[in-house]
Amino acid sequence: MMFRLENVSHCYSDGTLALDEVSLNFAQGERIAFLGTNGSGKTTLLNHLNGILKPTSGKIYFEDKPLAYDSKSLLNLRKRVGFVFQDPNDQLFASSVKQDVAFGPLNLGYTSERVKQLVKDALTTVGMNEYADKPPHFLSGGQKKRVALAGVLAMEPEVIIMDEPTSSLDPIATSDILHLLLQLNKEKGITLLLATHDVDMVPLFADKLYILNKGKIVSAGTPKTSFSNTELIRKVNLRSPRIAHLFEVLKKENNLPIADELPLTISEARREILRLIDEACKKAVHGV
Amino acid sequence: MSHSDLYAEVDKSAYTNALAKNSPITKTFFALSALLISVSASTFDVPGVVSFIVPIVVFIICTSLTLGLAKVKTHLYLDLFAYPTFMLILSCIVLALLFGSGTPLIEIPLPWTTWTIFKSGISMSINTFLRVESALSCLFFLVLTTSITDLCVLLRRIHIPQVMVEMSMLIYRYIFLFLEISKTMTLAQKLRLKRSGWLSSIRSLAMLAGSLFIRTLDQGERTLTAMNARGYDGEIRILDDFPSTRKTTLLGIVIFDILLITLILVTTNMGVVL
Repeated sequence: MMFRLENVSHCYSDGTLALDEVSLNFAQGERIAFLGTNGSGKTTLLNHLNGILKPTSGKIYFEDKPLAYDSKSLLNLRKRVGFVFQDPNDQLFASSVKQDVAFGPLNLGYTSERVKQLVKDALTTVGMNEYADKPPHFLSGGQKKRVALAGVLAMEPEVIIMDEPTSSLDPIATSDILHLLLQLNKEKGITLLLATHDVDMVPLFADKLYILNKGKIVSAGTPKTSFSNTELIRKVNLRSPRIAHLFEVLKKENNLPIADELPLTISEARREILRLIDEACKKAVHGV
Repeated sequence: MSHSDLYAEVDKSAYTNALAKNSPITKTFFALSALLISVSASTFDVPGVVSFIVPIVVFIICTSLTLGLAKVKTHLYLDLFAYPTFMLILSCIVLALLFGSGTPLIEIPLPWTTWTIFKSGISMSINTFLRVESALSCLFFLVLTTSITDLCVLLRRIHIPQVMVEMSMLIYRYIFLFLEISKTMTLAQKLRLKRSGWLSSIRSLAMLAGSLFIRTLDQGERTLTAMNARGYDGEIRILDDFPSTRKTTLLGIVIFDILLITLILVTTNMGVVL
């Protein structure tokens, strides 16, 4: 197991219990989504995974070794576990795109030549190479997000954590970022962890879903099983993906014979509709 | 053009002008040497003589490089000159009317004293005006053609203390963010029917400054967290990477400087005698 959390709790200095006895683990190459309302503890949980926050109680293991918080161990952890923040303006601090992306690898003590290559590769991956010499305030929101991701990619991490990767992005930028992340997962085997409250995005992205509510994990499983538990989803003030909701209504109000695991994406919905039509046709033929 | 728009335009020009991809060493060396030579020339200090040759030569060369070679927009260049020139004209009027000694030009009898305007005062005023404008043209050439990032790398190369370079880099980055935020906040105040009286505008400004200050503290903390997440250890390392310097260009600038100095020596005591 790459990461293992055992009864991790975090209590902020103002007394808020943001994480309450969270236990979970995940392996390399997984795509994991954390879903929850604002203030459910997603960001706090993710902040623990590259040592930004320290649990007030409980243990975190990375490759079966407990996390250490001295500067050398932290640098080592942060090289392997990259964190892309929600607001790229927090992350982009340098006066040009190139200097910002170079910040991480320079901190790792690489030679100037190697850093230049890493910067170029990372910017090419996110498609921002032509903006290398531009200052961050020249860029749009989506472009800033890409550069922030490049800043993490340049450190060649094995795990990338993204807090709300698609918040405040337009539809095209959202789907671009998602495709980019999936491609990184597929081609480089990078483990992806992301926090979101965009329920429609989750089934497109994740193969594992944790739902958080008030600092507790209330559901763990695949998006399919988790979203089929519609009662729980409502209880924690979330909603199902639009498509799942439509099929839930069709099932309840119109008594259509829809499978227990509701379709979540357009392709799943298409398959389910075709199956229903097919069955109806067969019934009609036999009826006659 | 409002102040903040002007800054943004200057910044944009530094990245998009035709000389943006040239070595910052060349550009800085040219601008600073021309500035130093033209400001330190003793030609200007002969009382009663307006020595216009050197400053006008420097001004014409810098301006034609900025507008012709770097292709900076003319209206931006003029706008940039407008503010300091306005201040300069006021100062020069004071210089002309109140300073100087030696040969008087005009004597105006006043009931309590005689107000004398000296020839040397007038020449000092005009010389100062020309000298400042030519110095400004040197600096504007540098500012309009060289990006802050390139300048920061250059400052690191010549071993300016790390902390100063880091500060300039961070201040530069966040000035634009906070300009944006303060614009939004001012608009929000206006939309909630801010009264336009003087007292209430002072109050709105105080509120704006207060909340902006809190925002900066907050932003600082979040940026530090984000920097820590990428292995920040108290030192911002800068990637030493900018266009290479051509030796021939540097040589050309040295020759230009020598010519300029020769011109100064030749034209000593030359000029319009008042």
